[in-house]
Amino acid sequence: MPDTITITQETRERVERIGTADLVIGFVVPPKDQQAIDRAIAISRAAITGFAQPPRAVLICPGADAPAESADASLQIIPMPGPPLDPLNLVQGFADAFRSVTNVARTLAARACATIAADPSVMDENWIIRLAGPILESDYDLVAPCYARHRFEGLINRGILYPLVRALYGRRVRNPFGPDFCLSTRLVERVPSATGSTARVHPIASLLPEAIASGMQICQAYLGVRSYPVPDDAGVSALLTQILGPLFAEIERRAAFLQRVRGSQPVEEYGVATNLPEPDSGADVSRLMETFQNGTRNLQEIWSIVLPPSTLVELKRLSRAPAAAFRMDDELWARVVYDFALAYRLRSINRDHLLRAITPLYLGWVASYAMNPDNATPEGAESLLERLCAAYENARPYFVARWRWPDRFNP
Amino acid sequence: MWEQVGQTLHESTLRVVSRIASILPGLVALIIAIFVAACIAWLVAVVLRRVLRAIDFDQRLETWGFQAMAEWSPAHSPTLLAARAAWWVIVLVGFVLGLSAFDATLSSQLAFNIFAYVPRLAFSIVIVLIGAVIARYLARHVLLAAVNMNLQYARVLSAGVRWMIMTLVITMALDHLEIAVGIVHLAFGILFGGIVLALSLAVGLGSKELVSRSLEREKDKPWQEAEEPFRHL
Repeated sequence: MPDTITITQETRERVERIGTADLVIGFVVPPKDQQAIDRAIAISRAAITGFAQPPRAVLICPGADAPAESADASLQIIPMPGPPLDPLNLVQGFADAFRSVTNVARTLAARACATIAADPSVMDENWIIRLAGPILESDYDLVAPCYARHRFEGLINRGILYPLVRALYGRRVRNPFGPDFCLSTRLVERVPSATGSTARVHPIASLLPEAIASGMQICQAYLGVRSYPVPDDAGVSALLTQILGPLFAEIERRAAFLQRVRGSQPVEEYGVATNLPEPDSGADVSRLMETFQNGTRNLQEIWSIVLPPSTLVELKRLSRAPAAAFRMDDELWARVVYDFALAYRLRSINRDHLLRAITPLYLGWVASYAMNPDNATPEGAESLLERLCAAYENARPYFVARWRWPDRFNP
Repeated sequence: MWEQVGQTLHESTLRVVSRIASILPGLVALIIAIFVAACIAWLVAVVLRRVLRAIDFDQRLETWGFQAMAEWSPAHSPTLLAARAAWWVIVLVGFVLGLSAFDATLSSQLAFNIFAYVPRLAFSIVIVLIGAVIARYLARHVLLAAVNMNLQYARVLSAGVRWMIMTLVITMALDHLEIAVGIVHLAFGILFGGIVLALSLAVGLGSKELVSRSLEREKDKPWQEAEEPFRHL
């Protein structure tokens, strides 16, 4: 997408009149009504006063009216440039909005750029303060979010994104895909614009890897409960395709760097971790298990292109296990994800098909995770997640070996 | 009288022998043409195989999305398929050239007809190959979508899509080759019409209530509620 679409001429002129700013706050998801827009503006005003030295801020909010000249010099408001968010492709929609916000921040030479995907009606000014504070006051380059969630929330992040990114890039960032972030000027400069050779790079997927590979200062902030837009009529398969595609593409792009990483290091944390109360309804995993078993019966032809025979045998054995004994080993799951990342690179099959073929396996992992008795408490869920991360890190040499010599494992 | 019989026999033998003698050079020429063509074909096949292996043709073909070619190839190697195809084409050309050594009018006409048919044949092969790739892609797409929707008859659905497309493609190829055009049209019409009618009846009558219940359920229940309390995002 060309740069001229992400910032229109009118917005560009308005940005040029504003000149410079310390902080750019961008709401990437359109607030649902005028009340939510007003709240976004009120939160931003309150956040500015929350800093020891109030920054000159610019708020980018979809649907907000842009006054010709704002009387309040501390907060200028401009509408979101670029197309509205596509509810059928949220990940790409976030990426486009993210590009628009960072393009504005780049033009304004802002010291910090906060992109917020949460619904303004469930957040407060502390979100912005916690996100932007470490950059404005402590010279960090990237602030990633941590949310209060119950153990069945954010499962793609829990099962794939966090452990995989942690194992491959060596930093323990809980939500590598945010989507609520704050970036320093240095990092904004490195966000791929929509033109040139980096046009195909997903800006959100590449954000954390770019910060790590460039040796930038990273921290994470506990923000609280997150309310996110629900994709219209999209299944798990579509979500996985939208998320794993950019993730695997980024791994392919950074292969040389990844092979030099050893172990994983924690990052500085701001705020206090909280957990949400468990959901009232019990977890019925029968449908998830059925989909996994259905996949094992029908997708052997496709899986055999991606997975080595030993993994296929283990999956077949698991599909025949009774419900009570249904447990997918962490090591097995880690190797499956690594094999799919490798097949993505090798283009063993059509990439869209490849990303869809992981769905039954992922649902099998979710079923196994939900039924694990160690998972009953938030502490248990945390230790389970830590074990999964360790499994990913242990399986890392397997991935690196297959990456270097893919044919050796494929008879 | 016996003398006349002997003379007649002698003349007929002479005629047969001279006819055979007149065919013999052509036959030898045909054998030589095939032999030379086979030698050239062998040489071309070897060179082609080496060149294709050097540029990693099998891997590249997969990268370009023609994975189906490997299935249709000997030893799952499109390189071997290309080499063997080149071998057979050259031998066939040698055979047709060799035929021209026989009766000039007849064999030339035959050679002309064969050469005139080659483009049609080649185009039909291309139609079938492209059709096979498309059929495989769509069958896989349907299979994955059906499994992810947890449909128990996913493989049947996928196979149905593959064979429907292959039927269409083979019909197109046969039509292009002008082989039994009337029968092919009729058979295709009956087959496709039959399939559509059978599906209509099955869905309309047999599974009417099941389908309406299923659609109602899907309409009333968004996907994220179907898997409560799991939130994947």
